Amino acid sequence: MSAKLFKGAEYLISEVSSADVFTPEDFSDEQRQIGATTEQFVLNEVLPHREEIEHHNLPLTVELMKKCGELGLLMIDAPEEYGGLELDKATSMLAAEKLAQAGSFSVTYSAHTGIGTLPLVYYGTKEQKEKYLGKIISGEWIAAYCLTEPGSGSDALGAAATATLSPDGRHYILNGTKQFITNGGIANLYTVFAKIDKQHFTGFLVERTTEGLSVGAEENKMGVRGSSTTQIILEDAMVPVENLLGEIGKGHKIAFNVLNVGRFKLGAGATGAAKRAITEGVRYANERKAFGVPIATFGAIQEKIADQTAAIFASESVVYRLAGLIDDRLATIPKETPDYYEAYQEGIEEYSIECAIAKVFCSEMLADTVDAVVQIHGGYGFIQEYAAEGYYRDERINRIWEGTNEINRLLIPGIILKRAMKGEIPLQKEAMKAFESLMSPSFDELDDSLPFAAEKALLANLKQAFLVLAGSGVQKFMNTIKDEQEILLAVADVAINIFAIESAILRAEKILPALSDSRKASIRAAVKVFTFNGSEKTASAARRAAYYIEEGDTLTMLLAGIRRFTRYDATGLLQAKRQLASASIAAEKYIF
Amino acid sequence: MKILVCIKQVPDLESRFKPNAEGVWYSETDLAWRMNEYDEYAVEQAVQLREKLGETTELTVLSIGPERVVEAIKKALAMGCDRAVHVRDSAAAAKDPWQIASIIAAYAKREGFDLIFAGMQSQDRGSAQVGVAVAEQLGYACTTTIVGFEYDNGAITAKRELEGGMKGVVRMKAPALITCQLGLNVPRYPTLPNIMKAKKKEISVIPVAELLTEGALANTTSFHSPAKKGGGVVLEGEVDLLVSQLLGILHEKTAVFR
Repeated sequence: MSAKLFKGAEYLISEVSSADVFTPEDFSDEQRQIGATTEQFVLNEVLPHREEIEHHNLPLTVELMKKCGELGLLMIDAPEEYGGLELDKATSMLAAEKLAQAGSFSVTYSAHTGIGTLPLVYYGTKEQKEKYLGKIISGEWIAAYCLTEPGSGSDALGAAATATLSPDGRHYILNGTKQFITNGGIANLYTVFAKIDKQHFTGFLVERTTEGLSVGAEENKMGVRGSSTTQIILEDAMVPVENLLGEIGKGHKIAFNVLNVGRFKLGAGATGAAKRAITEGVRYANERKAFGVPIATFGAIQEKIADQTAAIFASESVVYRLAGLIDDRLATIPKETPDYYEAYQEGIEEYSIECAIAKVFCSEMLADTVDAVVQIHGGYGFIQEYAAEGYYRDERINRIWEGTNEINRLLIPGIILKRAMKGEIPLQKEAMKAFESLMSPSFDELDDSLPFAAEKALLANLKQAFLVLAGSGVQKFMNTIKDEQEILLAVADVAINIFAIESAILRAEKILPALSDSRKASIRAAVKVFTFNGSEKTASAARRAAYYIEEGDTLTMLLAGIRRFTRYDATGLLQAKRQLASASIAAEKYIF
Repeated sequence: MKILVCIKQVPDLESRFKPNAEGVWYSETDLAWRMNEYDEYAVEQAVQLREKLGETTELTVLSIGPERVVEAIKKALAMGCDRAVHVRDSAAAAKDPWQIASIIAAYAKREGFDLIFAGMQSQDRGSAQVGVAVAEQLGYACTTTIVGFEYDNGAITAKRELEGGMKGVVRMKAPALITCQLGLNVPRYPTLPNIMKAKKKEISVIPVAELLTEGALANTTSFHSPAKKGGGVVLEGEVDLLVSQLLGILHEKTAVFR
């Protein structure tokens, strides 16, 4: 796909060229067709039943999953030798994005194809795959993943569920309760994590009909109410020893590795949901009149449409850039490699920082979008008859599951520091350089003939700000920095915004030459609006971090540096917002 | 047996159309493209027949147009056509239905198809002439706007949609051409495995110059938005006065009382 293979987090210390990012505009005909089939399925087969699904018609959901199976929508990530399609992550994300328009049904789909299927794909033996994978990718069986427990969530390894080998050595006897299990009530196969002899955290494939396995009552949820969420209760459940997944004591690898893809996919889903929500918002704004004119003519409404359109553009850019990063790396692993999936996992893990970024950035973008869409609807946004109300409730869970946004934020600087310690990222060296530039401001003139010169200059500066803050934090707290959560959260925000702004700019730069003049204007406007909003957020997070880390003269110097590093000349911002809003209002949908 | 299905790629009808610079067709800038809806019924029917007849039958899909039409061709392949012909023509939109038909007929003559499926009309030009003109130029039997289709050993039974909700049944012998109408079938979604398999199917490219011999019989002289009609007049006030006001307008501006 692209020329250069990037390492995880490398974006923070080096300049990335637009030729090196994958964008939605780079999709092949096949990928676009897969997107179209998925979208048609959602529009024609799922959305007409939205009401029934929301009222927990689970047999209908199961039926629709079978239809997904017939269309091949459950085969994307499964290996060819077991009847799968083994397509790239970009395709997988595109399908997730399109399906996300389906609300609760997309939760069933994502849990099944993601955390439900992937542990088996990555860690299953030949026999296990032969036995189960065909059923799962055809939709004959639904899959679920059981990690969380009533007493352990983010601290998943603190699980209390136990597994004990039976005296005859043929079964593991599982005991424990799993909590908030998506697809719990409709699944036929559960990937369950339990500790063998109360210490070796291990995965198991557990069939629904296993004696001793029972399914709890459906939870009454705030959102995504049509999906199934139950407890799974194991009371002396006899699981054949051949259903042990992966290795004894290596369950954490399974649990965490599928989470990387899960987080990333959540980002794609949030992007799709946001596109649908803003489309609904724009339609309503065109329809609804106040003071005798459509409310879409008001600047107050237009600004919301513009801000969110720009944010969705960035979100899309983040998701597919990351898909490209991962696909490029995975493409370097020959399929015949022994332990292919081991190498594959390492390939994905390389981008665990970016996966966490996608999770946090896209879910929060969606939160802002659905909030704006409810607000555009006014009182009607508060009424269940209007889709906006459902979007608002359905969004909330995205900031909680697949690792809360706090956990994901903490991971970002956490992993960066770990890699820096190991010498994989020259953080210290780069931070030193950044400190030097903090003392000696440069007065380079911008070369306006280059596209997005101001935005790129800002980006380079934001990276300096990140390095200075990370460097100061480490210097001040040394090894105990990992306990300074407020600082880590703030530094994570800086890293997240840099990735998002950079992704939006690079995509815009890459696609600009091929566009018509009016599209060019819209893309430029989106970049300006998003860069401005993003730089303001970054500046605020950076200042927060500075106050937390330093005091006295050093603090003053840091704050001065941040002021300089986050300066962005957004001349024409209002015109850009109006341009973006009017293009959206004319098209009555998300325009990119 | 050899079957041909003809498809056209048209703009998404939800697009905002503007006349092009020459003012004789719409501008293609920023349009999204898809397969003509009626052609989807044609492809579906052809694929169903192909599936029924089995491996001895070959189903070819043909489309005329610039590079972008390959996307529609690939969809037809993913729906189940065996091979494709892309008649490459960057000026297809400027050709009249007779010329388009002549291009298809020239290709079909070479191949000797037993059966040709086409959409009833295109969603953009909507002439509904291309299919019948192909049949005319090939000397094939032809029936149009079909909503029902059966094939048995060279004999075709087609149900046609007529004016006023009437239906007619037509029997023909191959070689024949039929054009397909809404209600004939429900086009399938291309499944993901079929989309990927279609990647390996052959798409042969023929430059239009190789097939075009006919000149245009009709030319579009102007393409423009309909003139805006004047707004209505709202009369307000007491009913007595309104009645006389209205009568006055009707006398003055209309032929109602003449």
